[in-house]
Amino acid sequence: MTRDTDAPPPRFPGYDVLAKWGSPSFDDTTRGVLAARLDAVPPRRWLTEAEWTLLDAINARLLPQPERAHPIPITPWIDAMLHDDRGEGFRHPDMPPLRAAWRQGLAAVDDEAHRLHDLPFVRLDADAQDAVLQALADGRAVSPRWQGLEVKRFFIHHLLKTAAGIYYAHPLAWNEIGFGGPASPRGYVRLGFDSRDPWEAKEAP
Amino acid sequence: MNAAAPADARPLARALGAATFGLALGALLLARRGPSAAVPGPAVRQRLPLAPDDTGHEHTDRDRARATGAIGCADLGTDTAGDDRATAALQARRLYQAAAMLAASVLSDSALEHYRGNFENPGMFTPLASAAVVLACALRGAGRDTGTAVRAHGSARARARASAHARQTTTARYATTRAAGPAATVPYATACAVGAAGLGFHAYNVLRRPGGLSWANLFYAAPLGAPAALLLAGVIGLAARPVAAGAPTLAGLPSGRALCGLAAFGLAGTSAEAALLHFRGAFQHPAMWVPVSVPPVTAVMLASAALPGAPGPRRLTHALLKACTWLGVLGMGFHARGIARQMGGWRNWSQNVLAGPPLPAPPSFSALALAGRAALALRAAQAGPQREAA
Repeated sequence: MTRDTDAPPPRFPGYDVLAKWGSPSFDDTTRGVLAARLDAVPPRRWLTEAEWTLLDAINARLLPQPERAHPIPITPWIDAMLHDDRGEGFRHPDMPPLRAAWRQGLAAVDDEAHRLHDLPFVRLDADAQDAVLQALADGRAVSPRWQGLEVKRFFIHHLLKTAAGIYYAHPLAWNEIGFGGPASPRGYVRLGFDSRDPWEAKEAP
Repeated sequence: MNAAAPADARPLARALGAATFGLALGALLLARRGPSAAVPGPAVRQRLPLAPDDTGHEHTDRDRARATGAIGCADLGTDTAGDDRATAALQARRLYQAAAMLAASVLSDSALEHYRGNFENPGMFTPLASAAVVLACALRGAGRDTGTAVRAHGSARARARASAHARQTTTARYATTRAAGPAATVPYATACAVGAAGLGFHAYNVLRRPGGLSWANLFYAAPLGAPAALLLAGVIGLAARPVAAGAPTLAGLPSGRALCGLAAFGLAGTSAEAALLHFRGAFQHPAMWVPVSVPPVTAVMLASAALPGAPGPRRLTHALLKACTWLGVLGMGFHARGIARQMGGWRNWSQNVLAGPPLPAPPSFSALALAGRAALALRAAQAGPQREAA
């Protein structure tokens, strides 16, 4: 869960997916969605200020971005999702509805931190925070606040997958992994394994 | 288009590429050594159709007009003097044009498709070079032989009056043609070699894929028909030279019959390629049936014209060949429309020219139809005197 602070050299040096902005690879729909992702970062509307700070601290441990002066925002988009109550269209039978699960889960994480380290989560150092999250991931949680909430599932399905989904929806993350983003109307013409179109990212040798 | 070769296959690809160049070089040297093979020997020259003398003049003309069908073939109609060599030169010009058109089709098609294949194998540059040289030489050949035809046509009347000298003039003309340089056959022979090697490469590309010789691989791997088109361009270019010189036979057959067979084979093959790819395209437009129905019928008609015996008037064959000529033009139009219908249309050309219907493919029908028309005209011209003799 930790990342080496002296970051490795980029795998796709010089690649900027946003250079495709005016090319046939992007259409108006793509440009609209990306513009919103880049510029229209939503304000806090549903989470309490304490929940927001806690979630921000959790996300900073799940997806640390020490190399970025302006980290990819994750917490605002989770707040927007909860504000709109826009889930995935299903829920697991051992989990409460979306909003309830997040509210209860966040409170339980903080309680877990108190029980393990006698401090709220946000005031722990990185190693202690990782230890708390590791306990959740292993299903070793002790707080009674997890009553009715499957702890492992909350960690994997809610905290981790949501954060990863939002992180990798951002063009800066696309540059990092050499992803081309939507290819519409231009698609790909070299369709074989390991073949690369001229408008695709070039991996460092 | 091509799945990238695994790392250990790369040296093999390089070796095959080197082999292509070697083959091409070998063909080049061979063509340099044996130029007279394409030019008729003295024994054949005795049987050459000569400029008719004054007495048989009128009759031969009428006969040929009947034999060629003389339907709307304005360029054939110019041959009023009945000069066989003028006819031959005109048909040779058509053959050169056919070779040039086929080479242009191969050049643009292989440029597009091999670019798409990222020139993964260095040998993928070869057909571009070869087709470009054939295109240039065939265009020059068409231009030069037009000149010859006009000159031959002009001098025909004078020669007809002084018919005693006809034989000597003919012999002299062959001498000059032969002296004009055996190097002229080199580009075409090279194209034949490159086309044959390409067939091998493309077959290897199909077979090395998982599934080997399967429909999916025939649809999506390197197309077998494309290098065959280069081979055909080379063969037609090779044939044009002796035809221009008035040689009555090609590869041991009367040139008209041989060329009818060649054009029939080419049309059938091109149509098979269109059938494969149009089936892949699910025949989603009714016009996609045309290139898989008209050319095969034309090929059968042409093949029957290649059989020995009097060819008959061949009006239907002429009409079908004309239809095939237009097929190339119309096909390009339909393919351009197909590109426009892809997502993004022509504005997204960098994707759609590569991924849409191939723009350079249909003109090969026009090229082969042109060769077929030349073949049919030669066949008629050669059948005329034979029938007279019988």
